[in-house]
Amino acid sequence: MLNPLRSEAEAFRFLVYVAVVFGVLIAIVVVVKAL
Amino acid sequence: MEAAAIPHDGHGESHGHEEHHGPPEANRSSRIEPQLLGMLLFIISEIMIFGAFFTAYFFIRVVQGDPWPAPGTTIPVGVAAFNTCILLSSSVTLHWAETSIKNNNRAGLKAGILSTLFLGMTFLFVQINEYVHLGFAPKDSAQGTIFYGLTGLHGAHVFVGLTLLTIVTVRSFKGHYSPEQHRGIEVPGIYWHFVDVMWIVVFFAVYVL
Repeated sequence: MLNPLRSEAEAFRFLVYVAVVFGVLIAIVVVVKAL
Repeated sequence: MEAAAIPHDGHGESHGHEEHHGPPEANRSSRIEPQLLGMLLFIISEIMIFGAFFTAYFFIRVVQGDPWPAPGTTIPVGVAAFNTCILLSSSVTLHWAETSIKNNNRAGLKAGILSTLFLGMTFLFVQINEYVHLGFAPKDSAQGTIFYGLTGLHGAHVFVGLTLLTIVTVRSFKGHYSPEQHRGIEVPGIYWHFVDVMWIVVFFAVYVL
């Protein structure tokens, strides 16, 4: 299981996943606000 | 005092254990390395601090139902989005630096860590510049207090991260670290990525929602 506090590589992968999830959330919020 | 014992070579006295100087080794009950365990506990405490600030933020927005930002004020979403890209790029360059030293690529290590340092400095500079041009102060409204509180708390973390990165940069240029020994990059790296993750949450809450 991914543990961002185990190594730098896992912390970076965790960051990428968080960025993707928040990117999708931001896109949804921006679209909903524009409607 | 075993530590002070002097071995008597040539007298046939062998006790079957190695010569040891200094205090006894600290007991380690955890399977996690001490450096990583320290960073883990530190980051958990950091999450609690940010949690307190987010509680204040959601209190005025959800419980109080106050408008965000305060009436008559604006916050530059575009500039913050640009700054987010800069900070995310710095994590990529830091990962590049760490991957480079693992592959014994010293040039990649230096270029990666220096890029990370400059990107981090740019982020902080843009944020300070944003503060200068915002047109409202923390004392003006509850929204202003929370805005400066949350972004300022994060900015302080970026400053700490930059201090760590400066140390790593100097050590990298002095020839420290190797494919076998690079804990000095790995642990500050975890902290820097954490600061990045926290910024994504701060950006989403403060600028987008």
